[in-house]
Amino acid sequence: MESSSPRSESQMDPLSTPSFSTLNDLCHDLTSLQDLANRGAWRSVIDKVSRARALNLLQNPHDHLTYLAYNALAFAKLRRFNEASAELDSMEDLDSHHYRYETYPKVYPNRTGSMVPFSLRWLHALLPIKLGHRNQGVDRLYTLLDFVRDKIRDKEKNNLEHSVQIWKKREVFVVNCIIGNHLSHKEFTVCLSLLNELLSRDSLDLLLVSQLGYVQLQIGDLEGAKVSFSKVEDMVEEAKKGNGNGSLLLNEIEMMNLVNRNKALVYLVGKDYVSAVREYEECIERDGSDVVALNNKALCLMYLRDLSDSIKVLENALETVPTMALNETLVVNLCSMYELAYVNHSDIKRTLSNWIARVAPDDFDATCTRTTSLQTLLWTVNDRRSSSKKLSSKKLPHHQLSKPTAHLQNFLNILVDEKRIDLQKAIAKEYEFVYSTIIDTELAMVKLESQHWA
Amino acid sequence: MSQTGGGSHSLAFRVMRLCRPSFNVDPPLRLHPSDLFVGEDIFDDPLAASSLPPLLSPTTSSPSPDPNYRHRFLLHHSSDAMGLSALLVLPQSFGAIYLGETFCSYISINNSSTFEVREVIIKAEIQTERQRILLLDTSKSPVETIRAGGRYDFIVEHDVKELGPHTLVCTALYNDGDGERKYLPQFFKFIVANPLSVRTKVRVIKETTFLEACIENHTKSNLFMDQVDFEPAQSYTSTILKGDGHHSKRESLIRETFKPPILIRSGGGIYNYLYQLKSSTGSSAQSKVEGSNVLGKLQITWRTNLGEPGRLQTQQILGTPTTKKEIELQVVEVPSIINLQRPFVLKLSLTNQIDRELGPFEVSLSENESYVERVVMINGLQSMFVPQVAALGSTEFQLNLIATKTGIQRISGITVFDSKEMKSYEPLPDLEIFVNMD
Repeated sequence: MESSSPRSESQMDPLSTPSFSTLNDLCHDLTSLQDLANRGAWRSVIDKVSRARALNLLQNPHDHLTYLAYNALAFAKLRRFNEASAELDSMEDLDSHHYRYETYPKVYPNRTGSMVPFSLRWLHALLPIKLGHRNQGVDRLYTLLDFVRDKIRDKEKNNLEHSVQIWKKREVFVVNCIIGNHLSHKEFTVCLSLLNELLSRDSLDLLLVSQLGYVQLQIGDLEGAKVSFSKVEDMVEEAKKGNGNGSLLLNEIEMMNLVNRNKALVYLVGKDYVSAVREYEECIERDGSDVVALNNKALCLMYLRDLSDSIKVLENALETVPTMALNETLVVNLCSMYELAYVNHSDIKRTLSNWIARVAPDDFDATCTRTTSLQTLLWTVNDRRSSSKKLSSKKLPHHQLSKPTAHLQNFLNILVDEKRIDLQKAIAKEYEFVYSTIIDTELAMVKLESQHWA
Repeated sequence: MSQTGGGSHSLAFRVMRLCRPSFNVDPPLRLHPSDLFVGEDIFDDPLAASSLPPLLSPTTSSPSPDPNYRHRFLLHHSSDAMGLSALLVLPQSFGAIYLGETFCSYISINNSSTFEVREVIIKAEIQTERQRILLLDTSKSPVETIRAGGRYDFIVEHDVKELGPHTLVCTALYNDGDGERKYLPQFFKFIVANPLSVRTKVRVIKETTFLEACIENHTKSNLFMDQVDFEPAQSYTSTILKGDGHHSKRESLIRETFKPPILIRSGGGIYNYLYQLKSSTGSSAQSKVEGSNVLGKLQITWRTNLGEPGRLQTQQILGTPTTKKEIELQVVEVPSIINLQRPFVLKLSLTNQIDRELGPFEVSLSENESYVERVVMINGLQSMFVPQVAALGSTEFQLNLIATKTGIQRISGITVFDSKEMKSYEPLPDLEIFVNMD
């Protein structure tokens, strides 16, 4: 799409097009930016922004801000958090008058308020967390929450009905981000308290009540979770009968699948994996792209000792609904299964990685394919005692410590393949440590935690 | 030694600990379009308020590009921002294992060779310092064949009841491609630690015994206390005492969905429980048994990740030991009016609580240990002779006393001395009397 026409003194407010018919009315070439974002082509977004800036295609202040927001978001998506931070640092304080419509009366006659996209404030709070300064980030999130609440009061006072709705939605969004952060750090008591605060305002939110159930399950409060899930089920029943409620943000299939998935979790926790699989199959029947059902079904199959089928379910999901199924958690699970199922799993993992590289969006975190490769590695060391028990007449060779065993050789080959042979020093150290603590015993266990694979 | 010679095995064990999965928590970088495309205050403008929403709704933007990763960018629902979609993830590391938990493991025996193996006898057992526990043994029905590239899987479970080092021993006895019978042992070691420590305090107030138990969490995860029950010994009944916690009005509104759980923080968190124990037989005399006083034991059930259970019980918890009293001295009658410097009579009874004759006794006022001058004294002979008392029998006698001061005074130090055994018993507790002016 073309850039907007050159400005003149008598230009109308670019945002006052009577019908707001296309995205490009909101910002220069927004349709194209949005398209790139929807594809997950974040590198292209960065290119586009840099080109627009270089060629001076952005005429209006609000264009610059929107492009900046896209740029910062793109960097964050690509996990280039320092560059994202730099984008935000290039701005003045977000409450500065430079970012208000009324500062540019010639460009926006009769328009007041802040033109800062809200996502910038959110990124401002999120980036310190991503950069490892969790406390600063959490402080900023709570400060942001206060800011949003002030805005709500302000808009209410001025009877700006629609704005109030938008800012209330932002309030819920920020609280959800805060809960997510506390959850990642296993601060469950705070989470429960915040969840209940949200629910006290809108106890009819099916997803939220379900999420309360999930938190209760995570901590082990099985009875509490059952109560939450049955509430969800009741609400869905009511909705199906047509007794609509305000929070019908899910369509019928989504609601029914939610109920089935919740039921499946209760079965799973009770170790009734067969029933859990049945519930998930109902979901998949209704919606073949229900990734949660697909992923969790595969896990249940594994707990039923059916590793082959669990792998099939995940591979099948990736094949039939690739854009929905391609998420890091599903890939982590699949790779764990590969490591268990195949002694030489590097080949199959490489095939998967190659496929991912072709199909995945820019922001896909490919490190998930390495996972904790070799959660446990079993070696047999100094088989002296066991060799005397051998039934065969052939004397088994005596494995000297200096000669690598077949397993070790295999493992080293894998390392070379994966170009991670630099790890051998760390491994040798582990091996030495383990051996030195063994006195004529037959055991060796080397546990390679994921941090070794940094 | 050659690597492809007799030393290499066609089979290999792959082991993965199969504790419960966890929910994946990953707050995503997803947002609402209205937070990105436009300024935050644009909806103040009524025109924008009415015209923008359809434009910003995800379904009306450009037709789905191919590939469509919109769901990784835009929020479908506000609570997507929490990052808790109920997507489960397999355990990614072995983790720690504690006494009272269940060790569960997926074991896969892979044939990575190019030929079939036959007649496979697989065994899995746990070895600890004290015992070997067999978890799986296919000797009675060996696995006939595992084809090249094939697998045989099994899942083993074991309730962990011992502390310290454990070894999971997996062995396979099989005929390889050359018909040679081979033996493959593989070992997996783990250490079992103590998850909790329990400290108790016993207090006896009159007829009731109170037991305070403090549970400390030594694990790396938060423990959800499912049940902490005190199982009393036969002679007691127990009730748990719970404080009325703060229940804000808001909480009570959603009480049906939310009951505050007892969650003990990882790595050193504590929680206290209080139990009230009452003697179930009623009579205090009967319940006093010689020797140690066994109160009962605590049964603790907890849950971690997705309901992973653990259970432990403590050893017998002891109360204060009670020694059976051989004699019981009691006041039978105190005169209603006691006047200053007028002799009065205190009637006492001495009961022999054991099954042999005791005595003869001497009853007197013990040596005055305190600095305060004794007010009530024996009038007459300073020690009273009480003849032998038969087994389980009792006798009554009188003490002649006189008070030297008015007002509320105490009769203290009445002591019984067994002249035969040459031992004296605990003095009678102080008795308060009121001494009138004459």
